[in-house]
Amino acid sequence: MNDSAQFQHRGLIGDSGVPPEAEAAAKAVRRETGFPVGWLVAPSAVWLLLFLVIPLVSIIVFSFWSAEIGKLDTSVTLKNYANFFHNEGFFDSQADRFLTMGVFLKTLWNTFRYTLEVMALCLLVGYPIAYFLAMRIQTFKWQMALFLLCMVPFWTSYLIRAVAWIPMLGRRGLLNKFLVNTGIVDKPVDFLLYSEFGYTMALVQLYVVLSVGPIFFSLAKIDKTIIEAARDMGAKTYQIFWEIILPLSLPGVAIGMVFIFVMIMGEFATAVVVYGGKTSTVGTVILNYYAVADYPFAAVNAIMLMLAMMIGVVIILRLVNIRKEL
Amino acid sequence: MAEKTKELVKRKDQTGVSRREFMGTTAKAVAAGSMAASFPFIAKAADPLRTIGLGVSIINEIQGKAAEDLGYGVTGQALGYGAYFGKALNQNDQYDVCEGYFNDFDVFLPAKIFHPLDTHRITEWDKVSNLSKTGKLTPDSKEGDGDAPFRLLWCDADGNLIDGPSRYITALPVFHNADSLGYDRDALGRDVTSWAEMLAPDVAGAVGLTNTPQVGVIDVALAAEAAGIMTFGDKGDMTRAEIDQLMNFLIEKKKEGHFRAFWETFGQSVNLMVSGEVMIESMWSPAVTASRAEGINCIYATLDEGYRGWHSGITISAKVSGAALDRAYEYLNWWLEGWAGAFQGRMGYYHPIPENVKKYLSAAEWDYWYMGKPAAEALNDPWGNPLVEPGEVRDGGSYEDRFSNIAAWNSLMKENDYLVKRWTEFLSA
Repeated sequence: MNDSAQFQHRGLIGDSGVPPEAEAAAKAVRRETGFPVGWLVAPSAVWLLLFLVIPLVSIIVFSFWSAEIGKLDTSVTLKNYANFFHNEGFFDSQADRFLTMGVFLKTLWNTFRYTLEVMALCLLVGYPIAYFLAMRIQTFKWQMALFLLCMVPFWTSYLIRAVAWIPMLGRRGLLNKFLVNTGIVDKPVDFLLYSEFGYTMALVQLYVVLSVGPIFFSLAKIDKTIIEAARDMGAKTYQIFWEIILPLSLPGVAIGMVFIFVMIMGEFATAVVVYGGKTSTVGTVILNYYAVADYPFAAVNAIMLMLAMMIGVVIILRLVNIRKEL
Repeated sequence: MAEKTKELVKRKDQTGVSRREFMGTTAKAVAAGSMAASFPFIAKAADPLRTIGLGVSIINEIQGKAAEDLGYGVTGQALGYGAYFGKALNQNDQYDVCEGYFNDFDVFLPAKIFHPLDTHRITEWDKVSNLSKTGKLTPDSKEGDGDAPFRLLWCDADGNLIDGPSRYITALPVFHNADSLGYDRDALGRDVTSWAEMLAPDVAGAVGLTNTPQVGVIDVALAAEAAGIMTFGDKGDMTRAEIDQLMNFLIEKKKEGHFRAFWETFGQSVNLMVSGEVMIESMWSPAVTASRAEGINCIYATLDEGYRGWHSGITISAKVSGAALDRAYEYLNWWLEGWAGAFQGRMGYYHPIPENVKKYLSAAEWDYWYMGKPAAEALNDPWGNPLVEPGEVRDGGSYEDRFSNIAAWNSLMKENDYLVKRWTEFLSA
């Protein structure tokens, strides 16, 4: 009796304390039918090996080489890494860049800072939308219809959505026309476009759906009877939110944040189009070095970006134990 | 042909080759058969000539016309700058001809990826202008700082650079242009005749610059020198101290909000001008034309200090030999013949043998594009779309006026790594 109750939990990911016998039995069944797991996994394993593992290993190998004029010097060196972390004159107490943060490290930090800003804004904007869809809209049909509506911007290409900000935020853009016509400002303001403000706005608009989606799904999964029960027991609205809804929706928040984090850390096109190239992200640095065939230094930047991403993802997943919460 | 194929299939079937194998063989046999029928003399040369380059020269119409004239296939691959640079350098077995640029040769030549070209096989070599041979289009022309073609042209039979005329050359100099500043005459309210205008106080917040470090740095160096802020030994090959001084100055300017945006693509530079975001910016000649088409009174400045020049150099991969090498030379000779120069001429680019181009241009086109005279009639772009209205004059005057006044050429400096590093700092300041 207890067995079958436990067994029903197996549909969800996570440790549900299935008794060893049941698990062994399940395995035995699988083996008996001769389920060709190995063969089914093989194509994706080959794919990953060819297009992920080998390129990744070669990026790492490249990062220890150096680009000399006209050719790659394949002797192992750490100078690309040194160049990433410190500026010329770092150790020279007379130089004006004595002990200042390396240009590329600073670029990585900037990239990280923009990403955090955008993540925070996406959460602030995305959560209420998801909450509204999941909790306030009663019928499934309308929930889906409105969710699809959120996806509409994704029907056009990424670059077009980025470029579309120019007639919106530019000096002769709609927003400036509105501000001038209503007398809020005397002449068009500059800070809307080709600025950190415009850049952040554009990124939030481009990526907010990535947070709405997962949060919406984890909110929709919450059993409404739990909320009713809480209300019956006299819980206040904010208590219900803080103690029931928010904790249960955290996996969706974490997944959404991981999506946004990974996308924006690698971002470079919006920086060029909407920030007017007035900043460097790790992506633009990689492009600049790729353009002059300095693959080793581009590789170092790629590796540092990957490391930063991995650390970020691990931190997000540590804050929310997705396996447990799901 | 069908009969032949059937026969072949039958015979192969009897010999018991695998299906895949005989499919491939059949296809090749059929192809060879049809080629041999129509062009018996090149039956062996079934593979097309493969050429790579940027969108300036890899244009369907150009390679299509070459194939038509030469009688064999010519496939062109238009790449972005980074992809072109990497492919030219690292994969010279993947192309026969590379339509490259002299400013990349500091990297390309030591790598020995190209054939040294034998001028005895370039039929019209004597007619090629002195711009690329001596650096002086006219006797009193400026040579210009940096990677001028004549500094990277002459080589020995092994491809090592040498001074002065020789039988061998590193590349065939073909299309070229002189870049300048584009400005919105109505917004600015005055004529621009100096690079220094880019740093003028009244354009603050309305200045655009290309974000390509190697090109952008020359524009700002010309501006800083013209404004009397600093001087350079050689703007095409700056020292670290010069790069530092220039970048420190630019970083201050950027922090003051002097620069509105840095553009990556041609389209962006047009957008910046048309949307009124900038009044003055580094621009390519066709971008000025495109801005004018949008109703902006955009002018390509005639600058006292001179222009920033660039020059293509078409090369043959060192991996090419035999009949393919002959065809590659034929293709190079075809470029000089003039048709391609006229096609590019209608976009504003120039050719090293102007009289060959003249054959293919109408008198009005020639006068407008090369002589700097007002258009006698409405002129079209290479695809037949209206481009120039009667009476319009090309900015910057005649071909000779422009190319006798090149201040600096696009260059790859010895301190390129340091430049890119400081440029990154400038962009993120």
